Amino acid sequence: MRVARSRGLHGWRGFAFVVPYLIVLVAFGILPVLYAVKLAFTTDGGGWAGFRNFTHSAGDYRFMSALGHVLVFTSVWLSLLIVFVVTLALLLHGRASRSSAAYRFLYYIPGALAGAASVLVWLFMLDPSVSPGSFFVHHVLGAHLFVESIAPGKLPLIFAMIAFWTGAGGWVVVMYGALNTIPQELEDAARIDGAGPLTLALRIKLPLIRKWIAYMVILSFATGTQLFVEPQLVNQASLGMVPDTWSSNQLAYQLAFRYADFNSAAAISVDLLAIGLLGAVVIISRTGLFKVES
Amino acid sequence: MKQRRLWPAVVVTALAFVSACGGSSGSGSAKDGITVWVDAARLPAAQAYAKAHPDKKVHVVTFDGDGNGATTLQTKIQLWNRSGKGWPDVIFSEQANDPVWMAKAPFDFAAPLEKLIPENVRSQWPQTSTAQCTVGGKQVCLQDNLAQVVLWVNKKQMEAFGYTVPTTWQDWAALGEKVAKEHPGYIVGNIGDSFSHWIYLWGNQCPLQQLEGDKVKIDPTDDHCTRAAALFDPLIKNGTLPPLSVFTPDFAKKYGGAQDKVLLMPGPSWYAQAVFDQALHVPAGEMTAANPLQWGSESPVTTGQVGGGPWIISKHSKNSAAAADFVTWVTTVFNPTGKDARPGYPAYAPLAEKWLQALASNPYFAADPTPALKTAADQVWAGWNLVTYPDQPVWSDKVVTKMVAGDSLSSLLPTLGSALGDAAKAAGYSVVGN
Amino acid sequence: MALLLRGARVAVLAAFGVFFVGPLLWLVLAPTKSDHELVSRGPFTFGSIHHVALAWKHLYAFSDHIYLTWIGNSLLYAVTATAIVLVTAIPAGYCLALGSFPGRRLVLTLTLVVMMMPAAALVLPIFLELNALHLIGSVLSVILPFAFFPFGVNLAYIYYSTALPRELLDAARVDGCGEWGTFRRVALPLAKPVVALVLFFSFVSDWNNFFLPYTVLGDSKQYPIQVGLSTLLSSTPSFNPAVGGGGQQVGIFRPELALATLVAVVPVAIVFMLSQRSLVRGLVGGGVKE
Repeated sequence: MRVARSRGLHGWRGFAFVVPYLIVLVAFGILPVLYAVKLAFTTDGGGWAGFRNFTHSAGDYRFMSALGHVLVFTSVWLSLLIVFVVTLALLLHGRASRSSAAYRFLYYIPGALAGAASVLVWLFMLDPSVSPGSFFVHHVLGAHLFVESIAPGKLPLIFAMIAFWTGAGGWVVVMYGALNTIPQELEDAARIDGAGPLTLALRIKLPLIRKWIAYMVILSFATGTQLFVEPQLVNQASLGMVPDTWSSNQLAYQLAFRYADFNSAAAISVDLLAIGLLGAVVIISRTGLFKVES
Repeated sequence: MKQRRLWPAVVVTALAFVSACGGSSGSGSAKDGITVWVDAARLPAAQAYAKAHPDKKVHVVTFDGDGNGATTLQTKIQLWNRSGKGWPDVIFSEQANDPVWMAKAPFDFAAPLEKLIPENVRSQWPQTSTAQCTVGGKQVCLQDNLAQVVLWVNKKQMEAFGYTVPTTWQDWAALGEKVAKEHPGYIVGNIGDSFSHWIYLWGNQCPLQQLEGDKVKIDPTDDHCTRAAALFDPLIKNGTLPPLSVFTPDFAKKYGGAQDKVLLMPGPSWYAQAVFDQALHVPAGEMTAANPLQWGSESPVTTGQVGGGPWIISKHSKNSAAAADFVTWVTTVFNPTGKDARPGYPAYAPLAEKWLQALASNPYFAADPTPALKTAADQVWAGWNLVTYPDQPVWSDKVVTKMVAGDSLSSLLPTLGSALGDAAKAAGYSVVGN
Repeated sequence: MALLLRGARVAVLAAFGVFFVGPLLWLVLAPTKSDHELVSRGPFTFGSIHHVALAWKHLYAFSDHIYLTWIGNSLLYAVTATAIVLVTAIPAGYCLALGSFPGRRLVLTLTLVVMMMPAAALVLPIFLELNALHLIGSVLSVILPFAFFPFGVNLAYIYYSTALPRELLDAARVDGCGEWGTFRRVALPLAKPVVALVLFFSFVSDWNNFFLPYTVLGDSKQYPIQVGLSTLLSSTPSFNPAVGGGGQQVGIFRPELALATLVAVVPVAIVFMLSQRSLVRGLVGGGVKE
């Protein structure tokens, strides 16, 4: 608190360091977002539309199912992410070892495969007749055919798995980096006090990377509700067996470009933004992400 | 510390590099030439034109072809429209229905061809092809190739089993029943592709996409639909007409290559290469084509269509004449032989003749498939019209996934009808039922 | 107990290793087989080097040798944009963590809000903006938007606000972070891990970005590799039946596609390994693992 109050004394002194970033933030962040928000509240001709775009897009026959899909997906994916990313990072950090770096590389590398590569990979992984994980596809997914693997009821799980496969490694790297910032003395002191590796991980390390976890949850919650890439990929890999308006964000894209209704599309995006912000506010107020004192 | 000194250097170098390369704006209608957008399969045609016309400037851009339900062209055209520039002069699309929305607001991209390409050239396209390119009474495209559905036959296997090639849907279904008993595991078709309804319902005159002015008629209760579905259902159940996609690895493994279990397969003209040769790896000397199946003794015989990529000229072109010359050349003249031969059945009839001659002697086929292809070319049912919205995702989502789960096609027709109705309404059509 | 824990640890790590690497291993082996063998042979079998060479020949020949141009474009876009990101994000994150200027919280909040906006909604605004700047069709239309990388600022911000030892933190605060000297004395020596993180994530996100270049570039010779790969994907008959039997002429099948994606991963893997090294080294106060 003392430090926070003393800030006022320094006025604008740090500002210059932020200016270059501010320029790109305004140009490629704030302005486009404002324009999108404006689109959401205006008509195609530019007149004020009030909430008409919102009611219109919410009345689309695909809106509710897409929203439902996205919410189920987000809850599955977020749980996977929180539990496993933190677990893996703690396990990797538990003991200094050469294998740790190798593991991090292995976990991360699927993240380097984007777009076309993922389509190719998942077409084969989800096809029980050629998949190396056919045992898994048979017994866990209960699928004997490719079309059964991507049956509507299983899709949220499938997308969560793909998203986890491509995205989790990056977060493991971030968490591991965060764990590395914990001073060694702190760990040593705890160890002298008789803390085992488990206690050390849960009582000492976990609270210290709370901020990073909160940050991951905020972003993942937002990206989860904005799911686009994974259903789009599976839509391509399955030659259209999965609808191109499976998620809300896909619906927004289709509205904008297939139907030239940029206003309704922007309205859906603003809906998603609002959901993301709501989640962020809840998490920030619970964890104090933006307080400088840690 | 090294990094600090490195940054500015990197940035300066990079920016210098960028500004050197910057400003080279590629797309758009050049004053003294034309820009054409093609998919990878049409690239050789565009390059051949440039080579044959060294005096003309042709700037070729390859893109994904907008096939497979992509929205590339919708996105691009809207953005060009918003910025008021950047439109290419000519576009090839892999999606037969693209010209329909391109000719309408808010896209307003496709130029009418009446004044650009002479009537005596355009009249050489089959009537249904021209009809599909006609939007609001004006012809706005020329199809590159035809994708008429024929009956593909594995001559070698059929002979080995002592079967005769069916000529009617009823004979075909009876054979399916027989195959299920005598040679389980073999198939007489497949109905699990995203476009299978174009093969099995379009050809059988099921009115699911029939334009009446600005209204679209969607009537899955029509007798043409229900009787076809009733004929297919037993075969779907006994495994001779599986609801699977020919393009999945699963399918290739079960029925293709060494298994060689495809006896018959109704499918478009391009299946010979794309499916039997390249996807299923059926050996040479086995396949041929038979005429489209007839419904009982009803005539005329009609068939379906899967594809038929169109060439479209931009309204905004500053060089319409050059663009028209290009389109005319690639559709009526371009016809290399050998391994560079055109991939699809040329839509321009005089060229099709030449192309078929070459195909007749292709050693891949067990017997000459060209008579059947030629017959089918004029049989595409005109009662199924192209619309602005995609119907494939609806068919896949509402029907194919359910057939896999064991539902009958007959029981799914009402769902299909109402889902197609939703898609039509969302695209601004009014829908009429039965 | 300790042994059991260690065993469980290894088991969990290895299980996830298999999950992450299995599909990748399949991809690595894919170009060694022909399109037919890909389906008929076991998923983890090795075909022959000959097939790799053949696949490369087809890939290299695709569309007048455009594949290498795409890789080059991607390098240009990603490297330039990442350089700008480092110059803007590291000082910004540092001062947002330690500074005290008015509006600091606002900048942080806006950064987060902007990150949460669905990308699909920003296509049109960014396109119109670039059009107004007459940049459509120029390489800057890709690089400039790439140079905005809020995630990098957040990483730097959280790093500086959690990882700095308290003494250094206080020293920096007394100076108010406003001086170049302090930045050099306090921030830069400690910046290595976060520079590595930001560099890595920025490079990868630029390398993998499909949407922006897809919308703003109008010439296939300017495409970055991701847009190129999607062109390749749609030239593969098994993924795009609409190509209508053009497969033989184009020569791109699943093994070629697999090879194309693998080559495209190499730069990312290299950057990962380089930044990994500085990520674990050079951390505060010598209390470093490994």
